[in-house]
Amino acid sequence: MALPNGLRVVISPDRTAPVATVGVYYNIGFRIEPRGRSGFAHLFEHMMFQGSANAGKMMHIKLVNSSGGVLNGSTHYDVTNYYESVPSNALERVLWLEADRMRALKVDDENLRNQRDVVKEEVRVNVLNQPYGGFPWLDLPPVAYRNWSNAHNFYGDFDDLDAANLDDVQKFFKTYYAPSNAVLLILGDVDTDEAIGLAERHFASIPSGPQPTPADIDEPPQIDERRGVVEEKFGTLPGIAIGYQAPRRLTPEWYAAAMLDHAFHGGRSGRVYRRLVLEQQIAVDAEGGIHYPVGDLFDYNGPTLMVTRLLHKPEYSADQTIAAYDQILDEMKEKGIAADELEPIKVKFRSNYFSNLEGGHGPSIPRYGLMHLLACFTLFDNEPSLVNTILDGFMQVTPSEVQSVAQKLLTRHNRSIVIRQPAKKGAA
Amino acid sequence: MASAPRSDTPSAVPPLAPARPVIWPPRVHRTLSNGLEVVLVESHGIPKFTGELFFRSGNAVVAAQAPGLADMTATVARTGTQRRTSRQIEEDLRRMGADLSSGAGADNSVISFAGLVDFSNELLGLVSELAQRAIFPEDEFERERRQLVEGLRIERTTPGFLASERLRRVLFGAHPYGTISPTEEQVTHYRVEQLKDFYQRYYRPGNALLVMVGDFAPEKMLAEIETAFGAWTGGPAEGAPDPALPELQSRRVYLVHLPGSVQTQLSIGNRAITRKDPDWLRLTLANSIYGGAFNSRLVMNIREEKGYTYSPRSGAHPMRQHGYFSIGAAVRNDVVAAALKEIFYEIDRMRSTPVGEDELDDARSYLTGVFSLGLATQDGLAGQLATATLEKLPDDYLETYRERVLKLTSADVLDAARKYFDSEHAQIVIVGDRAQIEAQAAQFGAPEVYDAQGSRIQ
Repeated sequence: MALPNGLRVVISPDRTAPVATVGVYYNIGFRIEPRGRSGFAHLFEHMMFQGSANAGKMMHIKLVNSSGGVLNGSTHYDVTNYYESVPSNALERVLWLEADRMRALKVDDENLRNQRDVVKEEVRVNVLNQPYGGFPWLDLPPVAYRNWSNAHNFYGDFDDLDAANLDDVQKFFKTYYAPSNAVLLILGDVDTDEAIGLAERHFASIPSGPQPTPADIDEPPQIDERRGVVEEKFGTLPGIAIGYQAPRRLTPEWYAAAMLDHAFHGGRSGRVYRRLVLEQQIAVDAEGGIHYPVGDLFDYNGPTLMVTRLLHKPEYSADQTIAAYDQILDEMKEKGIAADELEPIKVKFRSNYFSNLEGGHGPSIPRYGLMHLLACFTLFDNEPSLVNTILDGFMQVTPSEVQSVAQKLLTRHNRSIVIRQPAKKGAA
Repeated sequence: MASAPRSDTPSAVPPLAPARPVIWPPRVHRTLSNGLEVVLVESHGIPKFTGELFFRSGNAVVAAQAPGLADMTATVARTGTQRRTSRQIEEDLRRMGADLSSGAGADNSVISFAGLVDFSNELLGLVSELAQRAIFPEDEFERERRQLVEGLRIERTTPGFLASERLRRVLFGAHPYGTISPTEEQVTHYRVEQLKDFYQRYYRPGNALLVMVGDFAPEKMLAEIETAFGAWTGGPAEGAPDPALPELQSRRVYLVHLPGSVQTQLSIGNRAITRKDPDWLRLTLANSIYGGAFNSRLVMNIREEKGYTYSPRSGAHPMRQHGYFSIGAAVRNDVVAAALKEIFYEIDRMRSTPVGEDELDDARSYLTGVFSLGLATQDGLAGQLATATLEKLPDDYLETYRERVLKLTSADVLDAARKYFDSEHAQIVIVGDRAQIEAQAAQFGAPEVYDAQGSRIQ
């Protein structure tokens, strides 16, 4: 349903346990933050915890924690979310808080300075001061993409973070945080009518705003393999990340690519790990996925990559490692996949999907995964009920469709490679 | 909830509705005739189940041979049985829609698994095989050993690891808890016979606990467990040694030099207590007020007021024989001294001034609420059950947890802070680029300086 101001509301009741999870998702992610303001969507997410009209700095955190709940927010390519899990007797309080900050953000220069400092330490602890920090989620986009929206530093250049001011904050809020650009999700211990009543009570009076103009996130077609090298300042092993431009969501090719991805990156039985780590022992770690590692198959709404991330032994060169990897891909393109490999992949895919619905974000946020899917299907497709039917499309993929999509996607001119080269030799 | 009072103006915070009770699902707790302890709980949200097969022996029990041997044993145990090769095991897991991992900490080894209920019989069969009939193939062992060595080299460039390593060494010395990771040299000397020996001695039903939560009927699942594990034999195993702990002198500073660091990892700690200690909940509550929650004093101070750090946190860490309390924060290089000053200021405030009723009430609500949230997923519930059962806590430990927290007082918090937030004997570990931080560190005591390999350089 949608309120007259355009806010969509999705309710998923389950009264088994006396806990509820609430999410508000805005249809804005770091992909389309303003030029010259790299990292702003994420910095702004921090600002949403700094105070709103009736709940000043720390009130959001204090009210949720003191009600026995936890809360957080996260910035993705195309969405930003704010969520709380609480004992269900605090549900109305949480809705009040979310409505208050959707209605009016109330922050000052001091808040902005403070969170700018906090974000810089976040970038340092996650990227600049960690082995393989940002590898490959910050390394691949500038190599793989030509459109600034897709290619820039999503965590933010420090100069850009420093340049951000309060006008930027309020303008961004006005442009992207209108109710019509958001979805409210209420999951867990509540009945539907009551949830609708609470949503109306707290959110209906928020004034509507204009819809933001859709940003241009299109990429020109890729015609050549793209390569880049990034220095690894701390870690001892060379890393290689390979990304293939992936199909658009919900297309027939997307379903097949998901199965292909699982065949390659499905843990220790996936072809890449099995061959490169377990059998040939060229790599010591191999992971990957569509929209990996900061997203999944469902939570993007524009160009993305199917990524493989390898850490390999220093006695193998990058070329040798890539050649061994290419062989795995070539076999798939030439021989395809047998039904007795694809069928187990479907079973595992289904099983993973269920686990994600129930939890998906650690033990303190029940139903985070369900919330995330519902939000993306609502904001991107206007169809939350896809959560009930989307599995069918994957279950119907045939071996020949997997082979076809492999032949189409896994070409040299469709890929980008980043080598993460250790600055020093491995420690003795 | 429908009868709850409601606010009519947008400016007023809605009050809390009356809390709905947590309904505890019936729990089956049995010991099979071979000694295997089993805990089963239904949870029907998704057509899956999750399980953990624990052995009450971990790295500590074999620390005299080498650190990390239990973990290596668990790692290699999944790579081959009398009936299945490594590849078959992985493919069988996928066919059942299952995940499986194995590993060991200081006190326990564990095989964790989850899968679709349709395949529960088969998955239990595989887990049972891994627990009884692992063969430790030489080539798999060699591969895992090399992977471990490469992993250790990377760990030695990770500030969080280096801080934990030094703090644990300082707090526990030569006790097994004082070593969190083997050296490369020690791993090179691992022999596959040591793994087999560990497996023989400790992977036995009399030393094991199986916890399962999921979409099943417990009695029927119990029958499946009997079929899979009933014929397994082996009594209890001996516990880990508990050598003397070092005497901690006054406050001391340890600097681990990681050249090129653009941030400094702080880790401050004291020895504390286990979950069995009568003070455990008091300490938990004090920790939650100090630095264990987003809304805590430490986070307010050094993140939300001062902007020194992104994720400061404190925690009480219980192990089987001992425990410790630690405070961690990754801070800007130029505020190392300033951050330490605030960390100790907040500790001393906890130790000197009783917590007010509002803050106390908030913290009690936080602990009880988060506890309830943790029961709402199969994994969360299994984790809580495992903790309570492994440490042999009272049978009603989980059921009474919330009411016991709600009874704690401001005096309890003060008491716990005075006992366990021992600022006078706090051990301070600082990991970063020496040139940028040593003078700041020295304000808290002459630092002992180590390199990233763990050697003392000053």
